[in-house]
Amino acid sequence: MPDRPAGGLPPVSIEFGSVEWKEEVERYDHRSPARAQAQSARKTIETGTTKLDWKRCKADGPGATRLPGARKLYVPLGRQGASGAPYGFVFQLIQKPDDSLAWNMVAFGERHPADERTRNVYERAHKRLHGRYP
Amino acid sequence: MATAVKRLDLTIGELVEVAGRRYEVVPDREGGVTLEPPITPAAQLHAHRGTKPASKEDFERLSADVPYDDEG
Repeated sequence: MPDRPAGGLPPVSIEFGSVEWKEEVERYDHRSPARAQAQSARKTIETGTTKLDWKRCKADGPGATRLPGARKLYVPLGRQGASGAPYGFVFQLIQKPDDSLAWNMVAFGERHPADERTRNVYERAHKRLHGRYP
Repeated sequence: MATAVKRLDLTIGELVEVAGRRYEVVPDREGGVTLEPPITPAAQLHAHRGTKPASKEDFERLSADVPYDDEG
C-alpha cells in the first residue's frame, strides 16, 4: 500500500524488509502483545484502508538520537498517547535502483519502555541508521 | 559447587555466537557492555539491495505537512 502525499505528488510505497522484520518484530515472542500489534498494523498498512497518522522523526532527538529522513507511525495505528499506542514503527525514505522512492521500516519497538535497560524504538532506529547506539 | 566463569575479552561491535545464535556486544547504560541480537546496519542492507537513503530534498517535499511530536 503506498503512502499518498499531499499536493498531487506520486504515491510512495511502504515496505517491510524481511531482515528488518525478523530483527525488529520477530525478536518478540509469538504470543507477545508487541508482535501481535506489529502484525496487525502491518496488515492494515498493506491493506491501505486507513489514513496513516505520520509523524516526523527528529534530526536531533532526545537521548542524542539522530533520525533525519525518517518518519514514524504509532502502534496500534490511530492511537496517540503512550499508553494507548505503546509501540512505534520508524521508516526511512529510500531511493530504489529504479529511482522510485519508498518508506522502508527500520525499527519497531516500545516508545517509552518501562525497563530503563530496554532500548526504545528511536534508539533502535538510530543504531540501524548509524551502526551504533547514540 | 562453584560455577566456572568464562572470561571473554570483547569490545563493542563484535559479534559472538552462543548456542548457535549470534549476539552483538553493545554498551549498556552503566558503563559496561551487554549482548543483544544484532541489528543489521542500514548501509549494509542498502549495499545488498542497491538502495540508498533518499535526498533531503525528496524527504522535505514529501514531509512538509507532516508534524513533529515531542519524542525522537
